[in-house]
Amino acid sequence: MENAASADSAVPAGDAVPAPGAAQDGPAWRFLIQPRWLAWHLLMVVSFWGMLWLGDWQLHRALTGNGLSWAYTFEWPLFAGFAVVFWARTIRDEFRLKRGDVTPSSDADPNRFADLPARIAGVRAVQAGTAEPADDEDEELTAYNAYLARLNAEVKRHGRWHGLG
Amino acid sequence: METVAVTRAVLRYRVMAYVTGTVLIVLCFVGIPLQVAGHPVVANDVGVVHGILYIIYLVFAWRLSRLLRLANKPTVIMLLAGTVPIMTFIVERWITRRFIRPALSGDAPSAQAVRS
Repeated sequence: MENAASADSAVPAGDAVPAPGAAQDGPAWRFLIQPRWLAWHLLMVVSFWGMLWLGDWQLHRALTGNGLSWAYTFEWPLFAGFAVVFWARTIRDEFRLKRGDVTPSSDADPNRFADLPARIAGVRAVQAGTAEPADDEDEELTAYNAYLARLNAEVKRHGRWHGLG
Repeated sequence: METVAVTRAVLRYRVMAYVTGTVLIVLCFVGIPLQVAGHPVVANDVGVVHGILYIIYLVFAWRLSRLLRLANKPTVIMLLAGTVPIMTFIVERWITRRFIRPALSGDAPSAQAVRS
């Protein structure tokens, strides 16, 4: 997970991780039938029905006099519903990633550190005011750029192993 | 401000991580042995309490994961940690070091620390 750069270079050209803003060839939903996504769907279907089945089992136990089972009767369907929400969110996020839709309004990464540029700007203003040598500022800027690069790599990776679960 | 929302979500998540984790430890290391020994009361009651707490934990952990824009793997680890004894504590520390601290400090030096 740490060596983002080497991981990036290992990806063959035309892999399904476009640069932000890049247009996608073919229908946008095609990633949904990739093997790892099919495995993800399968896992979600199995866990969804599995949890409903567990809830049903607890209901039967509750009806036959096991008072303790009432709590679990309601818990399992709740977990099943949660799995559906989680699954839907991963697909929605992936669509957003494909579209390169990382505008500030979509509460994506840039928004997450909305106050960051202001802080950096503040630091720079202080440095300019005290007439510091340019070295410090460059260092700051380099570190900040490295930080942004890491964020970018992280966003790209985010899409890559969606199916691993 | 975004940072305030994250701070609140982090607090909620942490409280629930520690509460749920503690109750789960009681369930597994006190309740289950007692149940095996023929006294199921503790395991039953604490089991139900953990079930309810875990739902709350799920909600808060999920919301924090969305705020931090976590990928699937850390999100799943975070959510399932509430069902494995001691894991909530370990995962909470990991999430803090790896995701929360960089997100909140938001300055370049922490970006270096993230790689450790």
